[in-house]
Amino acid sequence: MSAIRLAISMIAALLLLAAAAPSMAQTDPLQALVRALPKGGYGDREKVILELAATGDARVAKVLDALGRGDLYAVKDSAAVVTATGRGSTMDTADPLSGETLGKMDKGALDRIRVNNRLRRAIDSAVGQLTLMGGSPAMRLAAARSMLKTADPDSIEVLDKAIAAESDTAARIAMEEARAAAVLKSAAPLADKVAAVDTLVARGDREALALLTGARGDASAELLPAIGAGIATIEDRLAFWSAMQNVWYGLSLGSVLLLAAIGLAITFGVMGVINMAHGEIVMLGAYTTFAVQEVIRNSFPGLFDYSLAIALPLAFLVTGAAGIAIERGIIRWLYGRPLETLLATWGLSLILQQAVRTIFGPNNREVGNPSWMSGAFELWGLSITWNRLWIVVFALIVFAVLLAVLNRTPLGLQMRAVTQNRRMASSMGIRTPWVDALTFGLGSGIAGIAGVALSQIDNVSPNLGQSYIIDSFMVVVFGGVGNLWGTLVGALTLGVANKFLEPYAGAVLGKILILVFIILFIQRRPRGLFALKGRAVDA
Amino acid sequence: MTLNLTRRATLAAALTGAMALSLGPVRAADDTIKVGVLHSLSGTMAISETTLKDTMLFLIEEQNKKGGLLGKKLEAVVVDPASDWPLFAEKARELVSVNKVAAVFGCWTSVSRKSVLPVFEELNSILFYPVQYEGEESQRNVFYTGAAPNQQAIPAVDYLMNEEGVERWVLAGTDYVYPRTTNKILEQYLKDKGVAAEDIMINYTPFGHSDWQTIVSDIKAFGSAGKKTAVVSTINGDANVPFYKELGNQGISATDIPVVAFSVGEEELAGIDTGPLVGHLAAWNYFQSVDTPENQAFIDKWRAFTGNDKRVTNDPMEAHVIGFNLWVQAVEKAGTTDTDAVLEAIVGLETPNLTGGIAKMLPNHHVTKPVLIGEIQDDGQFDVVWETEGTVPGDAWSDFLPESKMIEADWTAPINCGNYNTETKACGGGS
Amino acid sequence: MITQTLFRALDRKAIFVVLALLVVAVAVPASNLYLPAGHPLRVPNHFVPLFGKYLTYAMLALALDLVWGYCGILSLGHGAFFALGGYAMGMYLMRQIGDRGVYANPILPDFMVFLNWKELPWFWHGFDMFWFAALMVVLVPGLLAFVFGWFAFRSRVTGVYLSIISQAMTYALLLAFFRNDMGFGGNNGLTDFKDILGAPLQSGTTRAALFAASAIALALAFLVCSAIVRSKLGKVLVAVRDAESRTRFLGYRVDHYKLFAFTASAVMAGIAGALYVPQVGIINPGEFAPANSIEIVIWTAVGGRGTLIGPIIGAVLVNAGKSWFTGIFPEFWLFALGGLFVAVTIFLPKGIVGAFTGGWSALKARRASARAEEGTGLSGDLEPSPAE
Repeated sequence: MSAIRLAISMIAALLLLAAAAPSMAQTDPLQALVRALPKGGYGDREKVILELAATGDARVAKVLDALGRGDLYAVKDSAAVVTATGRGSTMDTADPLSGETLGKMDKGALDRIRVNNRLRRAIDSAVGQLTLMGGSPAMRLAAARSMLKTADPDSIEVLDKAIAAESDTAARIAMEEARAAAVLKSAAPLADKVAAVDTLVARGDREALALLTGARGDASAELLPAIGAGIATIEDRLAFWSAMQNVWYGLSLGSVLLLAAIGLAITFGVMGVINMAHGEIVMLGAYTTFAVQEVIRNSFPGLFDYSLAIALPLAFLVTGAAGIAIERGIIRWLYGRPLETLLATWGLSLILQQAVRTIFGPNNREVGNPSWMSGAFELWGLSITWNRLWIVVFALIVFAVLLAVLNRTPLGLQMRAVTQNRRMASSMGIRTPWVDALTFGLGSGIAGIAGVALSQIDNVSPNLGQSYIIDSFMVVVFGGVGNLWGTLVGALTLGVANKFLEPYAGAVLGKILILVFIILFIQRRPRGLFALKGRAVDA
Repeated sequence: MTLNLTRRATLAAALTGAMALSLGPVRAADDTIKVGVLHSLSGTMAISETTLKDTMLFLIEEQNKKGGLLGKKLEAVVVDPASDWPLFAEKARELVSVNKVAAVFGCWTSVSRKSVLPVFEELNSILFYPVQYEGEESQRNVFYTGAAPNQQAIPAVDYLMNEEGVERWVLAGTDYVYPRTTNKILEQYLKDKGVAAEDIMINYTPFGHSDWQTIVSDIKAFGSAGKKTAVVSTINGDANVPFYKELGNQGISATDIPVVAFSVGEEELAGIDTGPLVGHLAAWNYFQSVDTPENQAFIDKWRAFTGNDKRVTNDPMEAHVIGFNLWVQAVEKAGTTDTDAVLEAIVGLETPNLTGGIAKMLPNHHVTKPVLIGEIQDDGQFDVVWETEGTVPGDAWSDFLPESKMIEADWTAPINCGNYNTETKACGGGS
Repeated sequence: MITQTLFRALDRKAIFVVLALLVVAVAVPASNLYLPAGHPLRVPNHFVPLFGKYLTYAMLALALDLVWGYCGILSLGHGAFFALGGYAMGMYLMRQIGDRGVYANPILPDFMVFLNWKELPWFWHGFDMFWFAALMVVLVPGLLAFVFGWFAFRSRVTGVYLSIISQAMTYALLLAFFRNDMGFGGNNGLTDFKDILGAPLQSGTTRAALFAASAIALALAFLVCSAIVRSKLGKVLVAVRDAESRTRFLGYRVDHYKLFAFTASAVMAGIAGALYVPQVGIINPGEFAPANSIEIVIWTAVGGRGTLIGPIIGAVLVNAGKSWFTGIFPEFWLFALGGLFVAVTIFLPKGIVGAFTGGWSALKARRASARAEEGTGLSGDLEPSPAE
């Protein structure tokens, strides 16, 4: 029985050998190391990474980078290792060392080479050392920064060489700081270490503080005073900047509140409709963003960075139309009975929530940040995240545009006329039902584009609206019903106050204090911060 | 005017009529066994619980394909307790006394479980509770198929300490009983391991907290003390998305400060762009990515059932699978769905779990489970980086808390109680 | 004097309602306890606490109607008074557990043992006595309403501003009670009650007694409310509702009248909460949720505000509908409920009761106009049509 099978398998083995022969003939040590990557556990892989880094070969950086990103795959049924990219069932593959393309391969035939946090750190440090001498200034800067984090005494020599060759100022400073961090950990003489402390104090941020505190543990007695003084200097500076940072956090929270409330400032503030479905309109805007991104992901992946720009007008149209439909269908029967609009819109909010739950499912939907809204940058001692910055800017733009529409356009004039004195406006020939519908549509449309912005920082789920509705009402009432400026000042005040209380009182108690403050404030000024005066008050 | 009035009157009459009809009991066919499904389909918890309702419908359908149970078809009775805790008790009572269900599978939050406990005790019915929870409880009529603290939190901390060399800890959680208990146990555990008090920071936030700027920057500051720092997160569902987004944006990567979460699973990650989160960790007893034939078969059938080939699975779903299979076995063994007979039969039964091990129902009504630690991948799945050898038995009363270390639960003779004090050799009061 | 006022309150309609409630208070428990199981007229066991719960909700809606329907104060925070009454009762029930808790501590409730508290916080003292707890059920909500109202009405905070700050109040309380450090059990609240006044809570007799107590309390509340609205004080309240400034200019201390109505209403809500807790078996911060307070407003509106019977009917119907819908259309009941609210506001602006009495007076008007050639005056009390 086995004779034939044996023969077949021997032939097969021979064939395999023949196929493998050319690659064996190359005897590229790098190739062998790369092929060793998929084998064994994380510990074995870490050894291979260190060996790869030790070769100092420029091609290694690319391989390790791909490994760190999770783009390196082992081909099943062969020893080959490839980089593979692309979504879908087939992926574009390439040789990790030469970069030569190897064509499309089925996803099922590839096995990702997995890494964990420890390996990622090892890769970062290895790539840092490798790219320090070559590449663009930006790459060298990034390499120096990652070396600052690892602070490996063995890298001092490499850094010295790199500093000598460096022409870019920012990169050189980063390298010097990385060197200082490494020196602190090494057995260098005292004078060098004191100089290193000074370099880090000049850097003066949290990372420098972390390095110095870390070094204090095993510093010699002579070095201790220098480190202590350095830490004190940095802490003083950080204390100042952390207060500034709090102001920024407050502004950013305030702008979120402003966005959430500004649509309500129209439907509730200007029209007097206690619009409990406001939060759900915001939610519709967020879901519009999700739908837009979903279409882009599936059909036009290149447009992803423009997804928000596409979603904004769409969300305005969708929610504006929803608003007009709500006004025509429900609200118009209830003018003159403002408190009852509360009931009808509450019922409506239940319906909208459940409708979204039925259509999109009860789970959170994924709305991604475009690349220009990800990450953070340092401004003096402040760390500012891009998405928060854009939201602040966006909130202010929305506010300005809305103000202009209300005060500078014929539509705005008519809106104000109708809400202030409906009969008179009607007598002057204004089509009041039409203006009502448009005003409500405008308020809802604004709420919808707020939803686009909020989708960038919060859950997109059927509960999205519920979490903003109460805060929105607080802001509008605190600022004074019927006054857009009141909404702006109210939102920013509450945001900053909240953020200043949070470090002392904690998040929950801080919020309670804010609510108590609003209650007391309304006793002092029963019509909010910017009260309307005159006849409109009792309307 | 007249027309108007008639319309109103008719509507009102219709409304009252409809309401009056409403309270008649639902009639049932006698040739089915009813199974209650008590998960919120609306309100704040619908986000997590709806999937579990679907899981139960799926399991019941599968069982019926196999010929049902005791020669009868199973029938699911689904109600919506609407994330309203007193309503959970009301609906549980309705399921047991009106619909006459043989067992109930349901609840997610601790408070919903606490709310229904007296009902199950009074009406002597059975509840299978599928979510990881705080422990410190064992009730005769309840089976806890999710993880107890010793099956999730402690191994995760061990992993961070040994593998990542973490020395400084942030215990961040939502302010309710599960995080409070878990953090209390962990704090004690860390101190026993020699971690100094100033190296532990504990922070609580309200439900649905969405502005994480301050807390994330506090974590960043806490992490800059020169020691390797990690965050142990018991932050509840909804608050996680903004938390992770803020972490990603403030540039805290898993290589700097890893976050290990106990309440973030595949379902939660489905709502986040996981690119910036790669490497953060979660500890569970099941991951969708676990490569076993049982798991693959389960995922395939589940996706066929839901008609959605991207639908994910998660840990509480597996808990329902285990609970349901154990209940089916117990009913077959007892030959009846009678509560006392099933309670008698179920302890000691075993069923394969989906990760290649065996789940055994223990006398304290908890099950044995493996503990897996996974790292988040950029496709929203977890890659298992560590797991326990074999399974860990669930411990109802934590051994790390002074007030409960001498308490044991054992629902078999001769002890037969949920809080037996091994020092005084007596059962405490209550359940 | 008091009997006289009460007697005056008993016009024909009120007598009918009170008698009906008293009949319910006797008949339902009796049928549940004394008829054999399976008897067609027997009220099933699980209906007793369920209906009992509806009755406490009805009382809560009645309390809200006193301030909203008769005094024009739309409180979006009445759930807070209800919950505070409930917590006072819950604390009593918690102390009654004694050493039967899981940690068998004779003094401390389980959650305190668990949080490592060594002694009872000061505000828990006294709650082991029923009379003290009963006093607190009345006093705590009453005091909060008095203080809140004192500030708000004196500063003439009205309309929507008042609604929103009352919402802020209940929201702040919600957040506060969520905190475990507050000493009220955090998110889990108070639960696992054993007995009340020595009677086990899980027994049918206790349930029946609680049901009867709820029905009688509702009847009493109804009596008190009718007495208030029929007295001179009640007329001033209505005047405040319809034209606050004019009433003030006539020399009435509007803030005092409002404060009285608000405090009385809060006390009633507190009592309703205290009766609610032993019947559902749990009290937790969820009761403070602003959404709950909005729901109370909705019950009242659905039944018909400005009538005393309306809120009772509204609360029972809406809640019965909720119980029913969540059972039979678990996935779609919110559509039904939401649709109901929208429909009622648009088509029945005076609620169900308003529609019936409106229909009744229209009928009378038609008859009158058939008799006399010109039916003037009688149709004057018809409501204006919604769209002007």
